[in-house]
Amino acid sequence: MTSFISVNAFWTIWLLVHLILAVGLVGALTHQAMAVALPVRQPAGGIVTRFRAVAAPGYATAVCVLWVLTFIVGSFIYTKYRIYIRIPIEQAHDYKTGGFFDFKEHVSSLGLVLLPAYWYFWKNAQNREYDSARKGVTLVLCAMAWFLFIVGHVVNNTRGFGS
Amino acid sequence: MSTTTTTRAAAAPAASSLASSAKFKAFALAFSTSGPVIYCIVQYFNWPLFTFHPATNRLVWGYEAARAGEGPNMLWYGWTATTLIAAAIVGIIVMMLPERISSKIPLFLIWLLPILAIPYIIYSLMPWWVLAAGR
Repeated sequence: MTSFISVNAFWTIWLLVHLILAVGLVGALTHQAMAVALPVRQPAGGIVTRFRAVAAPGYATAVCVLWVLTFIVGSFIYTKYRIYIRIPIEQAHDYKTGGFFDFKEHVSSLGLVLLPAYWYFWKNAQNREYDSARKGVTLVLCAMAWFLFIVGHVVNNTRGFGS
Repeated sequence: MSTTTTTRAAAAPAASSLASSAKFKAFALAFSTSGPVIYCIVQYFNWPLFTFHPATNRLVWGYEAARAGEGPNMLWYGWTATTLIAAAIVGIIVMMLPERISSKIPLFLIWLLPILAIPYIIYSLMPWWVLAAGR
């Protein structure tokens, strides 16, 4: 593979794949979280209302697939992060950035284990018994996804592949 | 045109056999409830299923400290793998229990426990924060 593209380009492409999957995940979860936290009861109004007015149950499987794919691709590039990004971050004394990246890895695992219940709640969205739990787990996953996204972005700004 | 939010209205009753299965419900709720707790325990006691050494691409069962001249070790993969296996075992055990018992899992724990895990996770990263504060 490296005979066609440089090593840096190879890992940067995987990082971009991770980013694209993360954008999809954050978008889907934000739509769903807005729909569940601020349900629209009036006909469509402005863009915010339309953003909230989605068929939220339809996102559940996509969110699970996107979380798992983002997790797998992130795990793949994490091996190179540990050598080529984290060590220079430590050498530059950017300890908060390094600490927040470790925080990110833990949060991604916590989110991963929530997916079966999350999926079950949304696939049974007609059951009022799960309303509160479905809302709670969706908001938690959405907050996690945004945290993971922002920390990943900041780490990449601090030191991306090839920098 | 109406775009009324459909957190429930557009949701057809669970059509797939998995979503309507009482056994899957028990597994999913037990897995997701126990997962955050297990993850914190696994991390606290440092029980990775395996350790990965990225500089040498070496994978070792269980925990192995970083070796001189071989770069850092990575434990997060192993912690996550241990958590997934342990949570799956809990899920399978609960799945085999009578429904009157498995249905007693408080649903709010599924979103509350990961929130409660966050302070512990932040505490577990104390070496980073100490270094940052001393900079």
